[in-house]
Amino acid sequence: MAVDNDTDRRALSDAAAVASRTLTGQPLVHLGLVTAILLMASPLLLAFVMSTQTIPEVYDITNLGIGSDGLSNYVEVLTTYELLGYMVNSLVMSIVVTVGKLAVSLFAALALVYYDFRFKNAVFFLILFTLMFPVPVRIVPLYELMVAWGWSNTLLALTGPYLASATAVFLLRQHFSSIPDSMVEAARLDDVGPLTFLVRVLVPMSRGMITGLGVITFIYAWNQYLWPLIVISDQNKQVVQVGMKYLQSVGNAGQTDWGLIMAGAVLTLLPPLVALIAFRRPLLETFGLQT
Amino acid sequence: MSTHENAYQSTRGAYLLLLPTLAVILAFLYYPTVQTLRLSLYKTFLFGQRSSFVGLDNFATLATSGTYLRSVGLTFLFAAIVVTTTLVVGFAVAFLIYEVTDGKAAYMIAAIWPYALPTAVAGTVFLFLAHPSVGIYTHYIESWFGIEFDWFTSGWQAFVVLAVAAVWKQVGYNVIFMLAAMNKVPASLNEAVELDGVETWRRLVRVYVPLMSPTLVFLVVMNTIYAFFGTFALIDLMTQGGPTNATNFMIYQLFRDAFQFDNLGLASAQSIILFVVVGGLTYVQLRVSDEYAHYGA
Repeated sequence: MAVDNDTDRRALSDAAAVASRTLTGQPLVHLGLVTAILLMASPLLLAFVMSTQTIPEVYDITNLGIGSDGLSNYVEVLTTYELLGYMVNSLVMSIVVTVGKLAVSLFAALALVYYDFRFKNAVFFLILFTLMFPVPVRIVPLYELMVAWGWSNTLLALTGPYLASATAVFLLRQHFSSIPDSMVEAARLDDVGPLTFLVRVLVPMSRGMITGLGVITFIYAWNQYLWPLIVISDQNKQVVQVGMKYLQSVGNAGQTDWGLIMAGAVLTLLPPLVALIAFRRPLLETFGLQT
Repeated sequence: MSTHENAYQSTRGAYLLLLPTLAVILAFLYYPTVQTLRLSLYKTFLFGQRSSFVGLDNFATLATSGTYLRSVGLTFLFAAIVVTTTLVVGFAVAFLIYEVTDGKAAYMIAAIWPYALPTAVAGTVFLFLAHPSVGIYTHYIESWFGIEFDWFTSGWQAFVVLAVAAVWKQVGYNVIFMLAAMNKVPASLNEAVELDGVETWRRLVRVYVPLMSPTLVFLVVMNTIYAFFGTFALIDLMTQGGPTNATNFMIYQLFRDAFQFDNLGLASAQSIILFVVVGGLTYVQLRVSDEYAHYGA
């Protein structure tokens, strides 16, 4: 993963500057921000602390120390409770959706911007209009379709319905349209085929946008819950979000092993969180926020 | 749409490139949506094996069902609370980051990370931390406020816990878009606002909010869709619609009718109702401003 070192260093030195200057300039602003950030982080920090605790330590409610289980809850949840398998399933699903959606949307945007053809506006509207059809609006027939095609419990069902995206097509179309003709001139269209043009000219010029869309799509796919819950009934093929549900009953002698469940929660959060932090700049720029 | 003087002319080539997108949206978006409309006019029985045309009976059933009407009311109340709280908290945090001079980059990432937070993780973490018997939040809520906190039996408490978890997950997304909108406020206006410290908050409302209104409309729509659909994992993991249906929101009722009771016609009718609400909102949003047309799903 290409971590942006400049931004990293800037963030670190910013944080150091804040700490060393003892908040001279804007004490109230800093106080408000630190409070808000701690409030937002606290459930996660508590979850992490508890993930190191044994069952008796968890049931000693006000015990907020690092527990004596260390990282063994993590090992146990990954192996004994098969979270590793769910995470691999989620990873495969998310990568297929991300790569597939980007490829499919790049083709569509190429056609919409660099081709003259009949019904262009109608096609564009047809794609735009799908924003009105979130999964719950079509869930019953979509599920029946998967059953009819024999796609239940397959990667096809997990990824197929996510492969086209109005969002990605719009953003790429808008980005292609903003590339000045003069920059495209170098590759006279009559000299190179459309796919060569896409790969050699458009993709390199859209690297930030493609990365940002990729991160957004990866996070979106990784976090899906309802659709996998319905279309995957074979536990071995399930994704990690629904795996969280399987973990709920883990325990011993009537006591739920919350430490182990919190370890699972922390692990499930890690991939999208790492993606967000590593690619924050292209991600935020895709959302229109310059950093 | 810009026309390029050297555009490709092949209509067949264009449709070949559009084929994957069109195939996916026709098969997985248009066809099932149309089928939902058709199914909503049928009554299904024998676990979906048989069906017969009943016209608008399913809608009539829903309109006269106390359970469903209560679910609709609770969903709208929940959405109103989640949307308002998220906007207010998001605005405050975004404005503080906008104002701060030291540590801006670090604060930003520390405030927006819940954008990556899976709803199922948010639900699992809150289920534990606010658990009536072992939760640390429960422990302090009960000892500080002297109330009995047991949202496994108290409907309104379950409602509140879900709302808090829902807001927690959604604030980061709002901060991103609000910061982007604030950055677009012209510097001259900004200085004028800063001149008079006493009136900062009033001017904030009078200057920033109107300038940010396209963003705010967009966020109201996105937060509403999130409150309606995106919170399914919270309900499924934390309350299963209970206690006594206090968190039985429309999406959960739909899920149960479709996949637990195999009442596909009735479930499809509920899908159509959700489509009218959310499709309508999206339509309004697209009409008000197409600046954000692209940040849907």
